[in-house]
Amino acid sequence: MLPNSEQFSALLSTLSADLVAFLPELILAGGITLLLFLRLFPQLCRVHSGFVAAGVVALALTTLLGNGHVTTNADWEPGAFTGLLRLDLFSQFLRGLLLLFTLLLLLLCDQTGIPDRDDSADFCVLLLGGTLGLMLMTSANHLLMVFIGLEMASLPSYALAGFLKGQRTGSEAALKYVVYGAASAGVTLYGISLLTAVFGTGNLVTVTQGLGHMIADSESVPLLPMAGLCFLFVGFGFKLAAVPFQFWLPDVFEGAAAEVSAFLSVASKAAAVGLTARVLLLLQEANPESVRLAETLGIALAVVATITATWGNLAALTQTNLKRMLGYSTIAHAGYMLMALSTLRKDGMAAVLVYLVMYLVMNLGAFAVVAVLRNRTGAETIAACRGLIARSPAVGVSLTIFLASLLGLPPLGGFVGKFLVFSAVYDAGQAYAVAGSPTLEWVYSLLLGVGIVNTVVSAGYYLAVLRSAGLDEAEATDASGHALPLGEPWGVAVYLVGLSIVLLILGLVWNPLITLATSAIR
Amino acid sequence: MTFHDALFLILATASAVSALGVVVSSSIIRSAIWLLFMLMGVSGLYFFLGAEFLGAAQLIVYVGGTMVLVVFGGMLTTRGPFDHVPVGLVGWVLGGGLSLALFALLVQASLSFVSHPRTDTALPGTGPLGLTLLGVPETPGQTAYLLPFEIVSIHLLVVLIAAAYLARAKRRPTSTHPEADHG
Amino acid sequence: MVEFGFPAFLVLSAFLFACGLTCLATKRNAIGILMGVELILNAANLNFVAAARFVPTFRLEGQVFAVLVIVLAAAEAAVALAIFLNFYNNHATVNVENATDLKG
Repeated sequence: MLPNSEQFSALLSTLSADLVAFLPELILAGGITLLLFLRLFPQLCRVHSGFVAAGVVALALTTLLGNGHVTTNADWEPGAFTGLLRLDLFSQFLRGLLLLFTLLLLLLCDQTGIPDRDDSADFCVLLLGGTLGLMLMTSANHLLMVFIGLEMASLPSYALAGFLKGQRTGSEAALKYVVYGAASAGVTLYGISLLTAVFGTGNLVTVTQGLGHMIADSESVPLLPMAGLCFLFVGFGFKLAAVPFQFWLPDVFEGAAAEVSAFLSVASKAAAVGLTARVLLLLQEANPESVRLAETLGIALAVVATITATWGNLAALTQTNLKRMLGYSTIAHAGYMLMALSTLRKDGMAAVLVYLVMYLVMNLGAFAVVAVLRNRTGAETIAACRGLIARSPAVGVSLTIFLASLLGLPPLGGFVGKFLVFSAVYDAGQAYAVAGSPTLEWVYSLLLGVGIVNTVVSAGYYLAVLRSAGLDEAEATDASGHALPLGEPWGVAVYLVGLSIVLLILGLVWNPLITLATSAIR
Repeated sequence: MTFHDALFLILATASAVSALGVVVSSSIIRSAIWLLFMLMGVSGLYFFLGAEFLGAAQLIVYVGGTMVLVVFGGMLTTRGPFDHVPVGLVGWVLGGGLSLALFALLVQASLSFVSHPRTDTALPGTGPLGLTLLGVPETPGQTAYLLPFEIVSIHLLVVLIAAAYLARAKRRPTSTHPEADHG
Repeated sequence: MVEFGFPAFLVLSAFLFACGLTCLATKRNAIGILMGVELILNAANLNFVAAARFVPTFRLEGQVFAVLVIVLAAAEAAVALAIFLNFYNNHATVNVENATDLKG
């Protein structure tokens, strides 16, 4: 049974436009194959594979940016690849973010040298494969693509977590990640199977419309699709590291290399936030006038956000390992992002997109400092930061800027992100009060209070590190009692200072970013 | 009771009992054998439902491929063939209780779910399935699955590299022959 | 007389799912946990195929779902076992209770 010529030409005509919009992903796929073939030529292996991979990602990024005109077509129904993907501005924004992050991470890896020359090809393939999966997650328009994206992003991440395979901690991190990850993927798939069985299709728009009507219309909600939705959110919650699915994260972050932790902390989270935001927006669009979705799902998400942020911040207070502390800080930031997502409103989603941009820069920076400390002192503890500013002004001041931004001090990027999230939560309360639900106004005001209290609590651990870096005497001193210079390579210093300057600029000039995020949400 | 119903009951009971066997066996190899029977039972159910290609794929890929991996993994990592790992009572009560509650909920949900009218025609066979994986939908305008079919191949490539990286010995920095370390 | 329709398959798949979850909760051996995951994936796949049979709009889609899930499950098992063996090389066990180096 072969396709006839009519079917074949129909296929070609629909594919040609889709493939152009899908070009960044195709370039990544080509890059993966290229890295594989490069090994055939040992002479070429002298070049660090990181540069090849960085070139591939940069090419994909420029293609994506040049593709703007393709994806702005708003009434492009039913979506790319006969409705499997939605390559709209929203996905364009997040895919751009992911590619930019992978590019920066590859440049960092080149400086810190965590995959040595022998392993760099494998490392880069895994990184590119993971990024490809994350990009599919952000543009999925079909539950099949949601699951494939989740798996494509997860499996390379499991291997990356155990990349330092001779180490006890690295292999333990990978074991914990793969066990919990596989379990959550299974539960997610079961949820997907229930949803598709009820609605007779995996198309995300059809499914969310059906769900939205069920939630908004009937008093007694049918059990089967709701169970399916809950199981689906288990998977999202795992990727976001929302309580009660956060337990894997600190162990994995501590055991994995700092560069890998940065990937899990930023890229994985950005894609999960994007996917959750897309599902939530679609659910809300199914029944835009009703507040019933906010009264059920919105409140549930607000509760999860509260517990997540509080748990992350309280647990971070007692940590001595810098990477583990940043892991808990990642959980806390997931809580802040969930606060914005729980508003179920477009400005909340736009706020979370801006937050993600800031989060990318500051968290990558913080993990980069950890990587430098590991290379130069052999320790990743907070104690290793003692006297850091005296030992190396560039690294110390950059760390100060990153942590102050994570805390949310003006005039840094982190402040802008937090401010937008909190004001979106406040606006949501006001808007729902106007829509006739005083309960929701009360809930979102409370959520705003929780967010602010949490920010104050988080000062406890961020400032403790900064005090150690700025005020404490360095442990390593020369004969006359002066702090020994850290001796970081100049490339790393330039990298860190560059990220700090970007963070400073983003904290001062943020209007273009908001415009971009708002237009991405439409 | 028709032959059809009896067949369903046999297959379903076989799968369910085997699944239970996976849970209660404390030896990993015994669990694996129970899992093997469960997979075969599910494959039989696919044939029963008229999805011949899936039944065959289940037998070939799952029973023939994945299970061999799992059994190898079990044999390589246990000390003896009947290496028992006892489970504490707390684990049984907590895990079993939670699963039982969820099972009761799902049964209630399934039974209250208003079933779609049963379609009498057989499932589309391998031809339409293959065509839709090549991007040609059954009727024009429907979703076709060229993209997942192709992207999964990239995924498998990445997974292959990941597994090979993790499984091979770390190359020695002193190695003078760059080709000699593929072991 | 009872006609075994879609609900019967949903109940069976729910049973497999519950067995899988119990495996996840009670097994201490990493490979046992992986088997629990396989049980859950098969439960989901049974749902897909049964839905393909009984839901008219899902006839082809359900089979596509199922065939891709079989492929993805095989890939997952491969990576998981590679990681387990790697852990075994470092710890001489695949018992998850022995994975206690990382604690806060």
